[in-house]
Amino acid sequence: MTKPKISSDWMAGCSGCHMSLLDIDERLLEIAELADIRATPITDLKEPDESGVDVGILEGGVNNSSNEEVAHRMRSRCKILVAFGDCAVFGGVPALRNMCGTQEALQRAYVDIESNDDSGKIPSDPELAVMSNVRALHEVVPVDLHVPGCPPDPDVIYYVLKELAEGRMPEIKDENLHWH
Amino acid sequence: MVNITINGKQIEVEDGTTVLNAARQNDIKIPTLCDHPNLTPYGGCRLCVVEVKGMRVPIASCTLPASNGMVIETETDSLKKSRSTILSLLFSERNHFCPFCQVSGGDCELQNSAYDEHMTHWEMQPQWTNFPVDTSHSRFILDNNRCILCRRCIRACAEMSGNFTLGVEERGSATIVVADSNVPLGESTCVSCGSCVQVCPTGALIDRSSAYLGHDKNMTVTRSVCRGCSLGCGIMIHTRDNRIVKITGDYENRNAGTLCETGRYKTLDEKRVRLTTPMKRVAGQLTATSWENALTTLASNLTSNKNSIAALASTRLTVESMAAFKSLFADGLGNDVVTSIEEGRPTALQAKYAEANGEAIEGKLDTLRTSDCVLLIGADLSETHEVASFYIKRNMPKGTRLIVVDPSENGMDDLANLNLKPKAGTDEAVFDALEAAIVKEGLARTDMKKSKVALDVALNACGLAEEDVVDAARMLAEAVAPVIVYGKGISAFGGEAVMDAMVRVAKLTGASDSERRGILSVKGEANSLAAAQLKMDVPFEVKDRKVAYVAVGDDYVTKRLLKALEDVPYVVAQASYESALTDRADLVLPVNIWAEEAGHALNTEGRLQFAEAALTRPEGVRSNFDLLNEVAKLLGVTLNEDWRTALTARTSVVELEI
Repeated sequence: MTKPKISSDWMAGCSGCHMSLLDIDERLLEIAELADIRATPITDLKEPDESGVDVGILEGGVNNSSNEEVAHRMRSRCKILVAFGDCAVFGGVPALRNMCGTQEALQRAYVDIESNDDSGKIPSDPELAVMSNVRALHEVVPVDLHVPGCPPDPDVIYYVLKELAEGRMPEIKDENLHWH
Repeated sequence: MVNITINGKQIEVEDGTTVLNAARQNDIKIPTLCDHPNLTPYGGCRLCVVEVKGMRVPIASCTLPASNGMVIETETDSLKKSRSTILSLLFSERNHFCPFCQVSGGDCELQNSAYDEHMTHWEMQPQWTNFPVDTSHSRFILDNNRCILCRRCIRACAEMSGNFTLGVEERGSATIVVADSNVPLGESTCVSCGSCVQVCPTGALIDRSSAYLGHDKNMTVTRSVCRGCSLGCGIMIHTRDNRIVKITGDYENRNAGTLCETGRYKTLDEKRVRLTTPMKRVAGQLTATSWENALTTLASNLTSNKNSIAALASTRLTVESMAAFKSLFADGLGNDVVTSIEEGRPTALQAKYAEANGEAIEGKLDTLRTSDCVLLIGADLSETHEVASFYIKRNMPKGTRLIVVDPSENGMDDLANLNLKPKAGTDEAVFDALEAAIVKEGLARTDMKKSKVALDVALNACGLAEEDVVDAARMLAEAVAPVIVYGKGISAFGGEAVMDAMVRVAKLTGASDSERRGILSVKGEANSLAAAQLKMDVPFEVKDRKVAYVAVGDDYVTKRLLKALEDVPYVVAQASYESALTDRADLVLPVNIWAEEAGHALNTEGRLQFAEAALTRPEGVRSNFDLLNEVAKLLGVTLNEDWRTALTARTSVVELEI
């Protein structure tokens, strides 16, 4: 039997979920034995194989057109899509800006913020991704497994990866279910 | 009794029990958010839906009375799906992002319910609307963004504290919780009792003093008794690292979780400087010394002035300590001025009356729950015994009428149906006038034909208008269960005859008869009644005394006490905090505070309760009880350890439950 391929990527998050993934420490070696770890933000390969992977893991909410692309690409190339961490599951901290709207958030961050001089302006390069409300991953593409947590606990991540690597669907409940 | 079946289990419950409570009584868990065992069912959140055989749709179990033969299912797949949808709807309505909420991680009932349903995400995302946050209150914050509109806080405000400050404004998903007619909470009629915070299932009501100091799972909870006044409300002391994080009301106790600001918050405001070393006055200066030296000094001083000691103890001490104090200074050393800090002001009159008549005249606080007319005299409950005022206030919408008799302003004046403002010190005449009016109007429940004092004479003495007194007389006499609540105000002014006049009115109106005792006095501090029972209720007469021993503990020192101590040659202070008393003292013995010492408290209705110690005392500090025992040993006095018998040696004004 060939090892299942696992790939991950991140969107509007803080990379904390991937840090928590690294926090499973020596158990990473065990996962690397069980699965073929392909493209991730912390490995050299940057995009999931065009030929497809078994498990796709996405951290972060969907906050602009670039994130949408990442989400759609991962969805189209994986069999099981995992929403990884509170931002991917709920929208998380970035989604707080939905309360005031995109324009006000930009104005505050680039112009009004106290550390700015008077020359602050909102970036308008046409090559930049187009911003949207921050959405949970399941609002953009169908998701097969939600692993909440801010970040998810390393023990939960290990459990999820091990189950997926061994071809089972993890059950997120009881001691494995924490929203933060 | 009613027989029902829940999940195949045969259950018998009392008539009128809701299905939810029937399940609770039989350890069957039905999730709920808006229901609270101590509040009236509301049926708002719908999380407790169950399937009842023969009923068309799932139905909320919290408002469904069990009826004979009901067959109920609580765990079908369809119900689980309903619950998960209900929760998802609740989450989608406001900002319920957990990572930045202080109750997340154990103390949030909403989050815990979602975990119980194995919810890993929300089917529906929030609608991103901002709701108002009210930070105007000094004790807590109201964040409508975290609110699920369960209305527990509103019910607690009405049903626990009887304050009716909280309510809702707007409709549907725009509904928000507001104070009064939408004024800032800090400027509202809120009395800061904090019951709303205690019952809130989410992070919508945030307690400023305990927020972010840990979840319940990180804390040790000790069942205890509030020492704020004589009512003896049950409290839970939540501690972490030997400090009190918060105090909550004990639902199991007779106060059923209700507390006032004093009980819940004021203890945590403590700013006084703690004493941790014994000190003795050397060349006019208080100087730190060892316990050994302090006790030797004390022993030689007390030995040479054995029966020239005036001794005074705080009524916040435990019953054990007070009895030891009495035994040491009165029985052991033979002094006659052994009293409490209250000097009997809130208790002496009624104690004498009970002793003279050989019977308990007062009833239990529970009589307030069912009373339909309360006469309040000589006490401002909203200032001194606030939870008792809650017991009255929460019944007022049901028609309970309140008559406040007070020559000066009273915190309950605005609520009263009738305010009587007699001349100061004429309480006896007020009762005489009431008696005369009742007899004159033919409202007496006894066969009294002629009042002791003629109406016009009594009215003349107290300065009240006839029409007001007749109104009051009618209210009392026509009530089914009238209650007279009195405080030290009447003791302060009237002689003993006022007790007699009051009891006559109680009998005449049916407040007191062979069935019930509708007279209550609120007395003073925590162990006020114990002080009375131990006869520590005499004036603190220090004239010609060589030594004053003041066991003030963690109590506050009155100016009156300081004045009395001015001319005493040698003053010993057994105290927890620095104060004007310790400045005056010649010997200072540091002792623990209330929460550091286990012991009993005898509340105003004669109920003896044990309180565990919740904190460990600081190094160098002794417990009040141990110190008194040590002093007794040094002086060769054997203390009477049987404090229960000591408490019952005297006829009590209220039946003792000890």
